[in-house]
Amino acid sequence: MAADRRANWLKGVLDLLVLASLREGESYGYEIAKTLADGGFGQIKGGTLYPVLNRLEEAGLLAAEFRAAERGPGRRYYRLTDQGRETLAEQSELWLAFGESVRAMLTKGMRS
Amino acid sequence: MGDNGVRDAYFTDLAARLRERGVTEERITATIDDLATYLSESGTDPEEEFGPAADFARRLCADDEAAGDAASAPASGTWKWTADIFIDQQRLNEFGAQGWEVETVDKNGMFVSRRDPERPQRWEYRREVVRPARRAALAESLAPDGWEPCGTWWYYAYFKRPLAASVGPTAEVASPPPAPRARLFLSGRYYLLAACTIILLVLAAVVIGWMLDSVTPIEILDYAAGAVVGAAVAFAVGLWVILRNRDS
Repeated sequence: MAADRRANWLKGVLDLLVLASLREGESYGYEIAKTLADGGFGQIKGGTLYPVLNRLEEAGLLAAEFRAAERGPGRRYYRLTDQGRETLAEQSELWLAFGESVRAMLTKGMRS
Repeated sequence: MGDNGVRDAYFTDLAARLRERGVTEERITATIDDLATYLSESGTDPEEEFGPAADFARRLCADDEAAGDAASAPASGTWKWTADIFIDQQRLNEFGAQGWEVETVDKNGMFVSRRDPERPQRWEYRREVVRPARRAALAESLAPDGWEPCGTWWYYAYFKRPLAASVGPTAEVASPPPAPRARLFLSGRYYLLAACTIILLVLAAVVIGWMLDSVTPIEILDYAAGAVVGAAVAFAVGLWVILRNRDS
């Protein structure tokens, strides 16, 4: 039940977290998954991550470039577009305001 | 089968599924290469990491499907459809009971619907006739009963309400039927109305022809040919406008 609830929370914010993980510069699938795991969101499976990356790319919020590797098959690198950066700023504010409202409601009347 | 064999079989299957969905060869190769690199770093099994190939391919192409036509409607996801005004509420409630939630009504009058692939919920619908200026007030008056706006078409405003609001968890659809392949639902009354309209137009043409003939004699065959060509041109222009709107 607790895991289900967490998974549902994550579903609502994963696209924002992916955008945020690219704020510092370009990255690729596995590295984004690791960044999210290090951020405390647990292991995000590739089966969950790639559809989100595809959707963000289709929406023009991410730009992707495939680069062949000297050894091994190669990788797709993602970076934020200007539109992605704007969306991230705008949506982050909305999410933070929402988080504040949740916190205010959940802590209302609790003894500190 | 060794680890490499399992990976190869998975990626062969995934590539075939992506191909079926119309993904370009270049994109398929880049995707498979990228995913192979991912697995070499994560050290995980492909099916454990990405899920079954068919399902993963469907989710990778989710947006394309949303934009595509419903001839290839997914078992879940987005489905666009419409019904004539005589049966739209009945159909909305029928499909709402199958878990379809209308997100909006697009400019072509299609209900853009979605169904949660994991936990589809039942939805109820109602339609109201309202002037655009009164829409907000109407929505406000229906809100206390749980109705929220889900689209408008001319003077019609559509509202939806999750059944969970009144019956709780039992509103979940236990075994949703597959998405319908059709996207246009017309009633008997609609066909009757269309037939009456055509008969009236033919009668009008006959009466006009008779009136013209009484003023100055006309060649009946020429007149009939002119009426048929005029009707065909009007039909073609109407069809062109509809198709152009649909493509844009």
